[in-house]
Amino acid sequence: MTELSQRPRTAESASAVVTEFFDRYRAHDIDGMTDLCSINADFSYVPVEIWGKQRVLRGDGKVCTVGKPLWTGLVTSFPNLSNTVQSITSNDDGDVVAQVDIEGTQQLAWGLVAPAGRHYCEPHLFIFHVGADLLIDGITAYWNDAGISQQLGHNEVD
Amino acid sequence: MTSPVLTGTLTQTVQAFLDAFARHDIDAAVALADPQVTVTVHPLGVRDQGADALRAVLADLVRGFPDLMISVSRVITTGDVVTALFKAEGTQAADYAGAINQEKHLDVDQAWRFATGSGLITEIAAYWCQAQLYRRLAVKRYDEIAIA
Repeated sequence: MTELSQRPRTAESASAVVTEFFDRYRAHDIDGMTDLCSINADFSYVPVEIWGKQRVLRGDGKVCTVGKPLWTGLVTSFPNLSNTVQSITSNDDGDVVAQVDIEGTQQLAWGLVAPAGRHYCEPHLFIFHVGADLLIDGITAYWNDAGISQQLGHNEVD
Repeated sequence: MTSPVLTGTLTQTVQAFLDAFARHDIDAAVALADPQVTVTVHPLGVRDQGADALRAVLADLVRGFPDLMISVSRVITTGDVVTALFKAEGTQAADYAGAINQEKHLDVDQAWRFATGSGLITEIAAYWCQAQLYRRLAVKRYDEIAIA
């Protein structure tokens, strides 16, 4: 593995892993983002929920099965998708909290939102856990999806 | 007056804030914040400063959902920052965030990031999804929030 995994886990090294994660996200290196995660890393994008008639699909699961398709879809629909890390704090237990603005201009449909060429920028809060092997084993994120929909010109809640 | 929490850890300060909020004791919660606390509530577009701004955010929630229940799942301390993950649940009894009262039940997962200094909360940034909130309150459109 990379040099990152050679070091002991400290607040600083855990933070460095997350910084690298967002660098790779900014470069649309989805495989590289996934490489920073353990094979069974947990994933929860809390605002993601699609209400059907009999069940609700949520953005919960694993990085490899839910996270990676979501990231791939995002960079496909928003080809200039980018992020700005506003703050990162961490502790020696591997917890990392990051305030990140994510933005992009829509070129293809995203969920129920038809492409209108509009730009969005929305603050996100990410909570990571970095394991002793310096691989991310948990990602949880919160943001206001209504803010994104409105910026993209989609005014229907569902 | 010296508050007992001033001698506690940053985590204890935030935990005391959450406990006070959970029992709807707005005065006790606000007392744990610096008088010049920075208050950011992303889903509401609130970017303000001061105890009154914080009081308004908390009081609006309790007024809108008098049976508001705060269930904290995690409190994470990273340096001078404490992040609380919790679920807010309640039944709407008054207009909230532009949504008229239809007596709908709310349950929304939230993350609140607290920055602390000198034993008090100096910054609060709240994150939740307003789409989830409006969905539960039976709002259909963002540009017609008050129309049922």
